[in-house]
Amino acid sequence: MTVRAQDLLLGLVPLALVIALWQALVSFGYAPATLLPPPGLVFRRLAQQLTTLTFEQDVAATLFRLFAGFLIAVVLGVTIGIAAAASPLINSAVRPVVRVLAPLPKVALYPALLLLLGFGHGSKITLVTADALFPILLSTYYGASTVEQKLVWSALAAGTPPREVLFKVILPAAAPSILTGCRIGLVISCIVVFLAEMITSTDGLGHVLVTAARTFQAVDMFVPLITISLLGLILNGALGALRSYLLRGFPEV
Amino acid sequence: MNVLPSRTEAKAQPVRAPGQATAMIEIDHVSQMFQTSARQDHLALSDISLTIEDGAFVSILGPSGCGKSTLLYIVGGFVSPTQGSARMKGRAITGPGPDRGPVFQEFALFPWKTVLGNVMYGPRQQGVKAAEAEAQCRALIEMVGLKGFEDFYPKELSGGMKQRVALARTLAYHPEVLLMDEPFGALDAHTRTRLQNDLLNIWERDRKTVLFVTHSVEEAVFLSDKVVMMTRSPGRIREIIDIDLPRPRHRSELLLDPRYQKYVVDIERMFDDGPVQGSAL
Amino acid sequence: MRSRFIPGTRAAPWLACLGLLVLWQIAALALKNDSFPTAWAAIRAIPLILADKEALINILASQRRMTIGFAVAIVVSVPLGLMMGRSRAVASFFNPLLMVIYPVPKAALMPIIMLWLGVGDLSKTLVIFLGVSLPVIYHSFEGAKSVEEKMLWSGAAMGLSAAQRMVRIVLPAALPEILTGCRTGLVLALITMVTSEMIARQSGAGNILFNALDMGEYDLVFAMIIIIGAMGICLDAMFETLRARLVRWSEPQFDMPLSFS
Repeated sequence: MTVRAQDLLLGLVPLALVIALWQALVSFGYAPATLLPPPGLVFRRLAQQLTTLTFEQDVAATLFRLFAGFLIAVVLGVTIGIAAAASPLINSAVRPVVRVLAPLPKVALYPALLLLLGFGHGSKITLVTADALFPILLSTYYGASTVEQKLVWSALAAGTPPREVLFKVILPAAAPSILTGCRIGLVISCIVVFLAEMITSTDGLGHVLVTAARTFQAVDMFVPLITISLLGLILNGALGALRSYLLRGFPEV
Repeated sequence: MNVLPSRTEAKAQPVRAPGQATAMIEIDHVSQMFQTSARQDHLALSDISLTIEDGAFVSILGPSGCGKSTLLYIVGGFVSPTQGSARMKGRAITGPGPDRGPVFQEFALFPWKTVLGNVMYGPRQQGVKAAEAEAQCRALIEMVGLKGFEDFYPKELSGGMKQRVALARTLAYHPEVLLMDEPFGALDAHTRTRLQNDLLNIWERDRKTVLFVTHSVEEAVFLSDKVVMMTRSPGRIREIIDIDLPRPRHRSELLLDPRYQKYVVDIERMFDDGPVQGSAL
Repeated sequence: MRSRFIPGTRAAPWLACLGLLVLWQIAALALKNDSFPTAWAAIRAIPLILADKEALINILASQRRMTIGFAVAIVVSVPLGLMMGRSRAVASFFNPLLMVIYPVPKAALMPIIMLWLGVGDLSKTLVIFLGVSLPVIYHSFEGAKSVEEKMLWSGAAMGLSAAQRMVRIVLPAALPEILTGCRTGLVLALITMVTSEMIARQSGAGNILFNALDMGEYDLVFAMIIIIGAMGICLDAMFETLRARLVRWSEPQFDMPLSFS
């Protein structure tokens, strides 16, 4: 057995323990099934829900907001981050604004976004963008401003016009850092879209949870939580695969 | 000092083809000031004037921190001097250009490109068609001894191989001057020797002008036509020594040659003599 | 490309605040929307909230929960993260579990935890604890992992036991990274606090915000946003000052927070 397989097996132990403990709590009557439904019931309910159209529509709504917000954040974050690293003028303007806005709890802006953009997709996508933007922007900036000077010199000496250096050297050299930022941004997007849907929404996974909570359907409260966790795992895995493909030349990916 | 473009050296160049050696690079009263972290001005180079002829292999030799790399960066156009100017073929150097190709100690290969991709970067940038550039670059990769490694990424290569790629990448866009910044400084002794031999063999083909920065006396004497010795901080030219040894040079013969040995010993002694001009500052 | 020291850096964030408020004021005047008050109207409403005794008690109670949740999370997560960083077995034991928990919004657990533990302080503090733990574990893990092996060898050669090496070498060496995690965790504590109060709607800063929204008191909504925003910025600035003092030996860091996981 390889070391990797051993590690994987070792990692499954706590997951199995959690599920076993969960089952035990129900089986031995420490928790009533109305508060803590047994795991088998929850997973069966999840499998059943995944085939219903309404649940699928909720997942689709969540995914749409997640991707829209995340992609806007990637475009904005990478552009501003590179620009701030390349130009001292832009840097001196962006730096203090980021210093103020990055630690601001963006979720507090949500009521303002609701008032300005309404209760539809717009306000939720904007909130996702606002939250995912800063990790991407900051790691892009960090990556772009620590690019080895001599890579730039080598490209300039080979006849690259200075304005093309940005795309031909800085952007690819900062790619590892940018993708790390994207990974953090993606997880944050998952979290934020769910929360926004919980606070006010008429569809989406967060709304499913709130509806279940109002009617004290414990089983239906677990289903959307497990779904978002699975979505997060799948998206994270997909981004990881993209990352190792894009960075195949870089050491220690 | 008024340096004319057609100025010739008084000394005869023993192995050079008949005809006048013309100035390729002229460095004219260059000084370089840096701000240290304590916000004090540090004089890295002080009033350097130097002429490098077309086709000459010139080494800049000095202790670490004498500003020899800075001088190379000024010729490369990567750094502009605080005072004075540098010219190439009589025209002021204002920035980097494909007529001067750098090879750095850190290799500075593009990690996201394969060996072939790295070497093809320059020609493609110059507008050479992909197929044509690829053919040229494959031949070049073979010349530096890396046939079979075209599709490898730099991280998969050893230090010596990386430096071969870096040399090929620079040669690929046909610079008139090679600027080598302690290129073998990060390599082990054995690899270093092999690369020195191979560099000389490659150089013998077209005898490009080379400006070579090093702190190894043996390396400087073995490779160069001329050794420029510098003093430590602030960097000044202490002495320029013509290395009058026959070419093509072969290591096994040269190491036994008393003239070679004398050059090495004399230069090392000069360093041991300690500070001479100006370093009382 | 490295950023240089620019004179007047200290004043720049204040200027940025001012600039953002001016931008807001202009936007509000231009839009002339009833539900989008001007920055000035919102600022004038701040004293209304702070003078209200009940609101003030609510906000302070939120703060207390946040502090407790944050402190407990640090005490638990730092040792766990350090152990994960130094032992491959511990790391592969906990990693998958953490990966599963990572994308789950911690504040979303609020309805379930409320079902079990009621709507009291305990539920809200627990949620904050969960929210803070992950980034602190992650950064402690990364910090401990990158400790120079040879430093530990010298420690062992000097006769330090494994536990002593952990406290005397790994902890200080990983401190810059740990503090980066704490900084992220601090802001996350605030976010989780506000969000859980928005969902639970019982008391606290998040509740005041949404009550004002329901009542249509838009000045108060925006005033509360300013208050929460200011809390975030002040906490971050205070922590940054502390961090800079603790790890003065470390390489100069970017003065912008680098990770917000």
